[in-house]
Amino acid sequence: MNVLSFRETEIILSKYKIPFCKTEIFNSKEKAFLFAKKVGFPVALKIHGQKVFHKSELGGVKINVNEDNFYSVWDQIIKNVEGKIIEGILVQEMVCGKEVALGMNRDDQFGPTIMFGLGGIFIEIIKDVSLRVVPIDKNEAIKMIKEIKGFKILDGLRGGEKVDINKLADMLVNISNLSLKEENIKSIDFNPVIINKSNALVTDFRIIV
Amino acid sequence: MNYIFNPKKVALIGASEKPNSVGLGLAKNMISDNVFFVNPNRESVLGVKCYDKITEIKDEVDLAVIAVPAVIVKSVIEDCISKKVKGVVIISGGFKEVGNGKDEEEIRDLLRKNKISLIGPNCLGIISENINASFSYESPQKGSVAFLSQSGAIINSVIDRIGFSKIVSYGNEADLELVDFLEYLNKDKQTKVIAIYLEGIKDGRRFMEVVRKIKKPIILIKAGRSELGSKAVGTHTGSLSGNYDVFVSAMKQVGVIIVDSIEELIDTAKVLSMLPRCKGGIGIITNGGGLGVLTADYCFQFGVDVPKLDKETLLKLKELKEIKNKINPLDIIGDALPQRYEIALEALLSQENIGGLIVISAPQIMTDHKENAKIVIEMRKKYPLKPIVCSFHGGELEENNVPNYSDVLRAVKSIKKLYE
Repeated sequence: MNVLSFRETEIILSKYKIPFCKTEIFNSKEKAFLFAKKVGFPVALKIHGQKVFHKSELGGVKINVNEDNFYSVWDQIIKNVEGKIIEGILVQEMVCGKEVALGMNRDDQFGPTIMFGLGGIFIEIIKDVSLRVVPIDKNEAIKMIKEIKGFKILDGLRGGEKVDINKLADMLVNISNLSLKEENIKSIDFNPVIINKSNALVTDFRIIV
Repeated sequence: MNYIFNPKKVALIGASEKPNSVGLGLAKNMISDNVFFVNPNRESVLGVKCYDKITEIKDEVDLAVIAVPAVIVKSVIEDCISKKVKGVVIISGGFKEVGNGKDEEEIRDLLRKNKISLIGPNCLGIISENINASFSYESPQKGSVAFLSQSGAIINSVIDRIGFSKIVSYGNEADLELVDFLEYLNKDKQTKVIAIYLEGIKDGRRFMEVVRKIKKPIILIKAGRSELGSKAVGTHTGSLSGNYDVFVSAMKQVGVIIVDSIEELIDTAKVLSMLPRCKGGIGIITNGGGLGVLTADYCFQFGVDVPKLDKETLLKLKELKEIKNKINPLDIIGDALPQRYEIALEALLSQENIGGLIVISAPQIMTDHKENAKIVIEMRKKYPLKPIVCSFHGGELEENNVPNYSDVLRAVKSIKKLYE
């Protein structure tokens, strides 16, 4: 079991038209800084590696990194993951919106299944998720999104922003297609996917092969 | 498969008189002019002559039911092959469920090579309108519900609760599998509703594919949902129970109705086999205010619409002067006699946006359940497209295809199924 490399992840996401936030991988902090400047501060820094399954537990994720503390945060991450083999550190633009989670898993009896739920770290505790056996079409994807108890949060609860569930449904359908064609991919975790009134962007990915 | 459910002549291999034996249970259920008993150790069983071998029977035999120790099943099967039977049911256990998959596969391959269908091994048997080839503790009433069960004991526990068209205890599914029975039942004229008790399925995708093609409602209860239950499934039928959340999602995708208890399975089978689908909201008629309120609460909870009574309906209820508060749920008060029921049922059923009724006849001192039941049955005939379920303390309802539930919660949950 390995985490798919960033380059291969990039190729897969593009191939199946799954949009993700501006991301690049670096081993040199100077080059990373220039990229961060280009996408605009603040940025997120995350380690990426074949055997890195839980990067935040290692201290390998820092968000809201600014121009002033960029180098020191970078050094801190390097120190935290000392001894671990990593491919590099991802520099990502920070996107605003609501957090959801999308995933794919292969069930012993039903084959590929996809999951949708509210994102973030509580997903495993609250388990407010919907599941489907693939393939699914867009109608089914919309049903999946509306099925979770937390849907009201996405639907503009108390004057909050209504998100574009169309974009989200497209993403679910694309993952469904991906899971049928890329049989070497064992599971996919996109958590969070940031969604707002105009976009749905994967900001954290873990594809297991 | 038709030869299995509607055989002309049948042989029971392993008929016995030994008290408490499976062979005796089968012999008692199967005994008829068209059934031959085979047992080389006995002259006769229950007064019927025993043959030493199936090959000694002169008539053609369509179906062989086998209840002999696992070690001699193979040689009995070889006899069945030379007798050219069309199907066999192997009741005997001692195969895959105890880790003996090799013998099971050998027997299956042998039968397949000779184009003979096999049910089992390790099962209770099968029941159809024509034959009870099982060791069930009694024979069921005829009905329109087919029941496919991975557990024999569950068949026994529901056998007297409702009428059945077919019952299949499919055991280890060495040859014929759950999906094969579904395809058969889809075309079976006697079957309106299919109920399933399931522990594990072999191929989830194939199951979904077949279920998509089935036009009849399928109600399913799945065991082995918890880790503890899953382990028990492994030792029970040797199948894998899988992830329950994925299973439920998959079943919903193909329109299977998942239930949580055996009681709900039967309740749902009743409502779907006896009544048409519900198109419209529900009217509630009760002779006990409390039960009406509870029913309304449950309707709200389960998303069943309870429409307001319209002007015309209220006009029809005008002669019920004792009832001051005419709303839905309609409380016709504790002292209601059958006539009040009649007026209320007629009025509510004629309202267009009321698609069906829940009628309650609680035991008040003057209540005449029998007459009330008759009114319900008449109204069912008069308004055949509007389902009625009851919560009555008496009266002959289910005999006349009106489901009756002791608890209004069950009545609401059941009528809700008529929308799914």
